Amino acid sequence: MSVVDFLWRFPSVQMAWRNLGRNKLRTVLAALGIIIGVVSICSLGMATAAIQQQATSQLGSIGNEVSITSGQDSDTDGVTDDQVDTMRNLVTDAEVVPQKTNSTTVSSRNGREVRVSVTGVTNAAALYNLTSGEAPTRLLSGALLSNSTATTLGIEEGDPVEYDGQLYRVQGLIEEENAFGFGGGELVLPESALSEQNHYNVVTIVAADSATATEIGGELDEYFNTEDEEELSINTFGNAGQVGGFLETLSLALLAIGGISLVVASVAILNVMLMSTVERRGEIGVLRAVGIRRSEVLRMILTEAALMGALGGLIGVLLSLAAGLVIFQMITGDPLGALQWSGFQYLVYGFGFAVVASILSGIYPAWKAANDRPVDALRG
Amino acid sequence: MSVIELTDVVKRYQNGEEVIAALDHVDFQADRGEMVTIIGPSGSGKSTMLNMIGLLDTPTEGTVHLDGRNVTDFTEDELTEERRSGIGFVFQDFHLLPMLTATENVELPSMWDTSVDRHDRAQDLLQRVGLGDRLNHRPDQLSGGQRQRVAIARALINEPDILLADEPTGNLDQDTGETILTELTRLKEDENVAIVAVTHDEQMLEYTDSTVRLVDGVVTEVSGR
Ligand SMILES: Nc1ncnc2c1ncn2[C@@H]1O[C@H](COP(=O)(O)OP(=O)(O)O)[C@@H](O)[C@H]1O
Ligand SMILES: [Mg+2]
Repeated sequence: MSVVDFLWRFPSVQMAWRNLGRNKLRTVLAALGIIIGVVSICSLGMATAAIQQQATSQLGSIGNEVSITSGQDSDTDGVTDDQVDTMRNLVTDAEVVPQKTNSTTVSSRNGREVRVSVTGVTNAAALYNLTSGEAPTRLLSGALLSNSTATTLGIEEGDPVEYDGQLYRVQGLIEEENAFGFGGGELVLPESALSEQNHYNVVTIVAADSATATEIGGELDEYFNTEDEEELSINTFGNAGQVGGFLETLSLALLAIGGISLVVASVAILNVMLMSTVERRGEIGVLRAVGIRRSEVLRMILTEAALMGALGGLIGVLLSLAAGLVIFQMITGDPLGALQWSGFQYLVYGFGFAVVASILSGIYPAWKAANDRPVDALRG
Repeated sequence: MSVIELTDVVKRYQNGEEVIAALDHVDFQADRGEMVTIIGPSGSGKSTMLNMIGLLDTPTEGTVHLDGRNVTDFTEDELTEERRSGIGFVFQDFHLLPMLTATENVELPSMWDTSVDRHDRAQDLLQRVGLGDRLNHRPDQLSGGQRQRVAIARALINEPDILLADEPTGNLDQDTGETILTELTRLKEDENVAIVAVTHDEQMLEYTDSTVRLVDGVVTEVSGR
């Protein structure tokens, strides 16, 4: 079945298509208005999406963490086992990682010494990345040491490190994240190494993203603390959210600019549709005289507007996609980011806006043409 | 029973302060298989009368009966349905759609009726008005006479009871006009349709079964019955 046969089943579409083809220059000019509107909406939107993506990735993994320490009004000098159990019950969609911390001096065989912080943790995998291999999810023996400390001291994997009179074999070297420039080495040991401490110094909750982290932080705060009693001090890296808020404002402003250009485009369509229906007044009168219903005339003209919108929208979206690939390449270095929903959604909005705006601008001309009395239309 | 009947019809138009009666107490009727010509000078109310007969306009006074049914007070949408199912129009300047082929122009009135396939009837009608070899031509590829034949085929697509023609030969030369009139005469019998034609051209009276003469909105003579 050819396209024409298919269109024949939708008379409004067929008539609309033919009518658009009659004055191609005018159709193209009207569509051009839409194309510009769509491209501006889409590329501005995609630019904000790219900036947002870039900002979030620069904040690093810390944005999705909640850090919990003992609060001002707590009776204990740390987070208790009970509290950790309660957190595990409350938080089902994130990893709860309790830690005991201390510090010590690590020395090498050649006599060099480096002061490092000590973390006793079981689920090391949730917190640390190693230079090679995976950190254990259950660290029960052995140790992890920062790569830089190991280099300074000439310690290699398999070498022993002493803490509190006990020797621990180094199982892996920790790759430092320098995003925030935390200096200082770190020695990671099984929780049992710090068993002298009854309570946890820090509990880190690792969520899927910063929004979830913020949500969890709020939830825990509500559960453990009251307005004037801070049992636990709960910290989310909410500045990630604040950056998001700023970007949201920015993207709204940019969308508004894009929206204005679409309004201008709809006025152009309104103008074109009015002109073409006024020009075809007699013709539409003939249609009505030979028994074409008002609703059918209405549909035909609305379809014309919609087709014009879809046509302009489609071209606009294709151009915007190209623009989006360039924008993402420039801002994040990864052009394919444009295909992720955060950026791609603007193409969908842009197309939707184009069709909806066109149909809205077609309503008045269509209504006017459909309700013109055929005698009047034929008299001209 | 007449297929269309106007009884004591008055149509007034407001032209600024002045009210003019384009039709002044007019009676009219036509039967299937009959060709009635309305003749009169320009401005005498012929088109106004044809619009009443074609249910394009409603009278200020008087009644209109279609097939014995009083349609005077029908709404615009109801009148549209009557035109769609029972009336065909031929206009002086053809009024074909330029972007459609001859066949598509003929199919136009029933285009939105997806329930019926008029394609074969459209081609058959074009064949019968002698345009079998012009089925896919566009109006600008056809002569005036050919265009008017396409218009006649279009007027017959819905198998109407009444075919209305406002100055159908007005834009054609004498010979072409005569062949169009011959065509209409033949079709009124084949299709058993009432043809009401408007003209100011006495030549047309040779082809007509009866004549209504209009002067200033008043019927001055009915002949041929
Ligand atoms: N819509 C209208 N508004 C005002 N006057 C009209 C209208 N239609 C027709 N007339 C007037 O009615 C009279 C008859 O017109 P018409 O029926 O077109 O005459 P004809 O077709 O015989 O030339 C004319 O005087 C014309 O000016
Ligand atoms: Mg006239």
